[in-house]
Amino acid sequence: MAEFLDLESQDSVRMPWNVLPGTKADAANCVIPISAVYTPLKPLPAATPLLPYSPLRCRNCRSVISPFSIVDFSSINKIWICSFCLQRNHFPPHYQSISEQNLPAELFPQYTTIEYETTAPHEKAQAGSSNVFLFVVDTCVIEEELGFLKSALLQVLGMVPENCLIGLITFGTYVHVHELGFGQLPKVHVFKGTKEVTKDQLLEQMGFFTKRPRPTTGVIAGVRDGLSQESVARFLLPASDCEFVLNSILEELQKDPWPVPSDQRAARCTGTALSLAAHLLGVCVPGSGARIMAFLGGPSTEGPGAIVSKSLSEPIRSHKDLDKDSVPHYHKAVKFYEALSKQLVHQGHVLDVFACALDQMNIEDYFTLRTGYGLVLKAMVGVAELKVAIEKTGGLVVLAESFGHSVFKDSLRRVFQSGDNDLGLSSNGIFEINCSKDIKIQGIIGPCASLDKKGPLCSETVIGQGNTTAWKLCGLDKTTSFYQHGSGQMRLRATTLSRRWVAGPGIKEDLISGFDQEAAAVVMARQVSFKMETESQSAKAYKQI
Amino acid sequence: MPPSNPAQTTLPPNMVPARPTGPPPGSRPPPFASRPPPPGALPSPVAGTAAPPNSAAGPRPGPFSSSPLTSGPSAPPQMSSHGPVSNGPPAFAPGMAQSGPRFPPAMGGMPRPSVGPPQSPPMLSSGPSSQPLQVRPSFGSPPAGVSSSIGQPAPPFSTPSQAPPFSAPSQAPPFSASPQNMPPPPGSSPFSPPVPGVLHSSGSPFGMQTWPPQQQQQQVAPPPPIPGAMQKPQMFGMPPGQPPLPNQSMSLGQTGQSKIDPNQIPRLSTSSSVILHETRHDNQANPPPPATSDYIVKDTGNCSPRYIRCTINQIPCTVDLLSTSAMQLALLVQPLALPHPSEEPIQVVDFGESGPVRCSRCKGYINPFMKFIDQGRRFICNFCGFTDETPRDYHCNLGPDGRRRDADERPELCRGTVEFIASKEYMVRDPMPAVFFFLIDVSMNAIQTGATAAACSAISQVISDLPEGPRTMVGIATFDSTIHFYNLKRALQQPLMLIVPDVQDVYTPLESDVIVQLAECRQHLEILLESIPTMFQNNRIADSAFGAAVKAAFLAMKNTGGKLLVFQSVLPSTGIGSLSAREAEGRSNISAGEKEAHKLLQPVDKTLKTMAIEFAEYQVCVDLFITTQTYVDIASLSVVPKTTGGQVYYYYPFSALSDSAKLYNDLRWNVMRPQGFEAVMRVRCSQGIQVQEYSGNFCKRIPTDVDLPAIDCDKTIMVSLKHDDKLQEGSECAFQCALLYTTVYGQRRIRVSTLSLPCTNMLSNLFRSADLDTQFACILKQAANEIPSGPLAQVRDQATNACINILYSYRKFCATVSSSGQLILPEALKLLPLYTLALLKSNGLRTDGRIDDRSFWMNYISPLPTPLVIPLVYPRMIAIHELDEKELELDDSIIPTSIPLSSEHISDDGIYLLENGQDCLIYVGTSVQQNVLQQLFGISSVEEISNQLEIVQEGRFIRDDVFLLHGRRQDT
Repeated sequence: MAEFLDLESQDSVRMPWNVLPGTKADAANCVIPISAVYTPLKPLPAATPLLPYSPLRCRNCRSVISPFSIVDFSSINKIWICSFCLQRNHFPPHYQSISEQNLPAELFPQYTTIEYETTAPHEKAQAGSSNVFLFVVDTCVIEEELGFLKSALLQVLGMVPENCLIGLITFGTYVHVHELGFGQLPKVHVFKGTKEVTKDQLLEQMGFFTKRPRPTTGVIAGVRDGLSQESVARFLLPASDCEFVLNSILEELQKDPWPVPSDQRAARCTGTALSLAAHLLGVCVPGSGARIMAFLGGPSTEGPGAIVSKSLSEPIRSHKDLDKDSVPHYHKAVKFYEALSKQLVHQGHVLDVFACALDQMNIEDYFTLRTGYGLVLKAMVGVAELKVAIEKTGGLVVLAESFGHSVFKDSLRRVFQSGDNDLGLSSNGIFEINCSKDIKIQGIIGPCASLDKKGPLCSETVIGQGNTTAWKLCGLDKTTSFYQHGSGQMRLRATTLSRRWVAGPGIKEDLISGFDQEAAAVVMARQVSFKMETESQSAKAYKQI
Repeated sequence: MPPSNPAQTTLPPNMVPARPTGPPPGSRPPPFASRPPPPGALPSPVAGTAAPPNSAAGPRPGPFSSSPLTSGPSAPPQMSSHGPVSNGPPAFAPGMAQSGPRFPPAMGGMPRPSVGPPQSPPMLSSGPSSQPLQVRPSFGSPPAGVSSSIGQPAPPFSTPSQAPPFSAPSQAPPFSASPQNMPPPPGSSPFSPPVPGVLHSSGSPFGMQTWPPQQQQQQVAPPPPIPGAMQKPQMFGMPPGQPPLPNQSMSLGQTGQSKIDPNQIPRLSTSSSVILHETRHDNQANPPPPATSDYIVKDTGNCSPRYIRCTINQIPCTVDLLSTSAMQLALLVQPLALPHPSEEPIQVVDFGESGPVRCSRCKGYINPFMKFIDQGRRFICNFCGFTDETPRDYHCNLGPDGRRRDADERPELCRGTVEFIASKEYMVRDPMPAVFFFLIDVSMNAIQTGATAAACSAISQVISDLPEGPRTMVGIATFDSTIHFYNLKRALQQPLMLIVPDVQDVYTPLESDVIVQLAECRQHLEILLESIPTMFQNNRIADSAFGAAVKAAFLAMKNTGGKLLVFQSVLPSTGIGSLSAREAEGRSNISAGEKEAHKLLQPVDKTLKTMAIEFAEYQVCVDLFITTQTYVDIASLSVVPKTTGGQVYYYYPFSALSDSAKLYNDLRWNVMRPQGFEAVMRVRCSQGIQVQEYSGNFCKRIPTDVDLPAIDCDKTIMVSLKHDDKLQEGSECAFQCALLYTTVYGQRRIRVSTLSLPCTNMLSNLFRSADLDTQFACILKQAANEIPSGPLAQVRDQATNACINILYSYRKFCATVSSSGQLILPEALKLLPLYTLALLKSNGLRTDGRIDDRSFWMNYISPLPTPLVIPLVYPRMIAIHELDEKELELDDSIIPTSIPLSSEHISDDGIYLLENGQDCLIYVGTSVQQNVLQQLFGISSVEEISNQLEIVQEGRFIRDDVFLLHGRRQDT
């Protein structure tokens, strides 16, 4: 057991089979799939250096140089051989001085996992730019809850680092996008909850082109492309600049004023609000780390992504309904949130959900969500649909009975806390896998989104998100291979593993010696829960176990 | 046409428009007319119109009198012998034709003292008008005035260059009083014939006695005074020295003599004494005094003429008789008209839960003409003739005279107008609160021209004039390419701005807090109005989403209804109901533009109309204040106010300097004036007559009723009537207007006005009892209604024909055979030709007007009350240099009597104010005394007036004055 733990501390990886079966038939006999559980942001051993340069990549398969690469110091032009595709690569000129005695850190055998600090050219402008938090607050809650929520948010505002950009959207029947940068009056852009707004409409309607004409061609993307800093700064302001305005808005924040008939649910347009939030971030800060933090007080009933109608006579779908497929809103909502998650992934933004609801709690609606390091959080009514967006963007889900509950308050605080116990939130990662020719990648089960990078390494059988060798992890907590660190630096973490394989008869002992029981349990759990969500016959999944 | 003809639009050199805007044209000494398009300022009728009968005797050519020269009589002589044909006008021809040639010498010798300085350009904009708009074939003549007008110094108020069919009326002294036998005692009646020489027979002018045609022969035309010298260019056709024809009071000379005493020209009587009018006398309807006169009504059974006026005060028994007369039968209904301060207030009657007594068949309301029979147990409806049981608790015995004994105690049985308190059955919901929602354009143009600031300041000032009490609610929103609402709730530290960005599919952002009680948000409102202009100071959004903003505001008001006051500055260019600059498109494509010119006066599509109907359904009334410097397509925009019972105000070209005060004044009156909400109106008529059509600013969902989201004291509805049966001679025909409305203080009321008029079989009675002002108002309103639907020439023809046909009918059937050269006018309608001519020169009936000006003109007329109709085409002129002297004498009547629009009444050292109920002009004579100038304007010489600063001062002066006039208009 201990050896597995050592390996994990070095590489943040655990595998059920640390000795691999050599043939397909053997692999099939193993039942537990050959897999690796990777925690991308797990702290590295303290001695591991941070390399202040970009990594060398194989010019054939783009894999990163590692201690497993064979380096030919003898030839005049020093050459390294890619451990995956065996391609011979020349070292660039600044590596000329290396020798067996003078190895770069990435070739040290103990640094199979190492971080590079990279700054891609187009990222330069962003260097130093800070994280963005866009609060999306549900106002369809009773006064008491709203009070709790307000005080929690006010408290959080005090904790946000000063250079973080902050935005605020409140919603109920309508979506209110608050313009924080307007001094004379509190100013709110009001969007209809029932109608989805496209990004172009948003650009047009929120007056992004009044001061300067709209570029006739090209994509509008933040200050770099087409927008003035001024127009962006109306909605997203450094915490230090908007603290006062935000405080007064939150203090005067009222319950959604539209009357709710006694036989109806409040009109809550969660979908529209989230979609607007995504558009706003996509317009203002595409590609840089940003989190949409949604505070929800109940099921969405209005607009796209509604999960139930407003009439109270219609119950909220239960797990059983989902199984029976008697869920009128479910598929539409899921489709909507899938599109939303795609957009968020594309923009590199995270969706976090803090859901607190007193009514309509239904134990069957709980389901589990995995986060990077195995913390299991419960999610609630309405999250079944939302989940896809949260999961793919690597967001957090916090569920509590009330905004006054300590679970909510503590969780929220932890998100912003700095120090040893912080979640170490990072964002905007890309996760790539390269492997030896004999192994193919079936897929990933985890909080990430496929980047659709197909190649010969992709297996035909797909598990989770497959058909790719690269994934995006928009939000990470102590998690990835290529990510934006909280300090704003871009880092690349390369982990290279090598495991021996055995073939032929009598391999069983060998295989068993390399079996990691805990890892296997985790892998199976994930696979099963994944199947339960995706396949209608959950009974089948149980049987499989 | 003579190219040198001054345009109608010409202003006298020293006329100072009341609303100076731009800098005065530097090159011109006279300070007037700084506003670019003066054509709109005043309709031409100023030109060459008649002087009052009592005016000074001597022909004094003055700046105002020269018009006839240019518009001169034009019929060729060969037409002279024509008998009257259907269109009549040839009767004029001989005189005109013959007088024509005489003009040149006359002009030559004519002193023209008051014409502006010779060096000053005679006209401001004569261009378009030099083209003949049309030459009516019936008058058929090349304008003979050509020769006479060439080389003339431009008359200050020039006439239209096109030859008007009648030529200028002022030159037609032969319009003498008609050969009626009943001219009123001189001086006492507004109907008094202007011609001193007319033989008066006895009888009250308003009397009902019949008028045997033979009596005409007793009429003797006044001996026309023959001016010795040819000073008077506008005379024509009076045979000098020739004895008048026996049966014509006035004639057009056939002998080629063209001298006529201007004193004999029919003029608008401007008696300043107040007339006491009893609506019924000896159980007979009393014909009302002229609408423009100052009168006090005593309601003795019929309603006051302020509420209902009929075009003819006796009702023709048959449709044939009516069509023979060529007059129209119509009512002008102004249910909430302002009473004279000395009149008794309308009595309010409460029938309790059961509501007012009504006929069970036609639902007519109880009125003094319902006949109680059978000891009062039953009553006969004076509309449908049905016999109803008297409700038990309403029963009362009859007296010996057949009237109920309590008739004099019960207002509904002895007054023409009463107000019933509406019972529950008249309410579909609780009476609505008084909601005022202000919607302000803050697009770039509006901000930069100062329109936004002017609107905000005006609103801020009128807040205190809104009705007091908890029922008054206000809301405010601004818009450019998006719509900005404001949450005014007092709990908030400051107003919260809520932006509705989607202008294709609008919504109201809040259910309640956008419209709040005035008392609750006064402070927020003040802060907000103060900060709006600065808040949008740097707004670069040129687009304006008018339609969407109005719709959004409507949605916010939908629950209550109310008044939506919109301040718009540019052409709506985005969102629902956006419009295009189709005027420019029309200009660029001239051939199509000519043919389709009237299409530009129609709404471009149905979008706004559909919206407006929905507004009306939810009792939202839209008033539109257009403060613009460009084309805004009023034709399309105006559909909204027109359909919702609102009105259009037009400030063009907007100048923050001079228009702000007017905007404030208009807005103030708009919110202050007596008004009602969620109103429904219906007019009922006695059997034999029915309502054909309503016309005015309202929404019509079912043919019998008129829906008025709001109605105020200035709104008039024209009700045209038709026969569906014969009426009995000697009987009376009754009309009843019932208006169910909610007062600003939340009471539901039914105002019922009943007018009962005698029926007659005599054509002459019809002419005698014709109501000039109402007749003309109908002609005017019909013309305005027709303009968008046909070529202009056709509309002009229709208006002219309406007048001609009446005169022709009179001549043919009521006057004895007379020489074809004589013009015979019915006494009651003697000014109809004058007004008709003036009408043809109005903005709306000219091709050279801007499309928006014409659209506005049409819209202005649509709800126009009768007393304002006449000044619109024939403005009032007041000598203001005499003002302060009189002020010392009388405190209460500061305004001197108006003087005729004729040059002989203008003197060189005078200052004159010309006012048409909408705009003012000030004419400053060239040799005005310094002290007068000093007193009025604070300047020492005329030249200084051109100074911008002085214009501002003037503006202030005029404003005071206009306000007085306005006040008086309300009284009248």
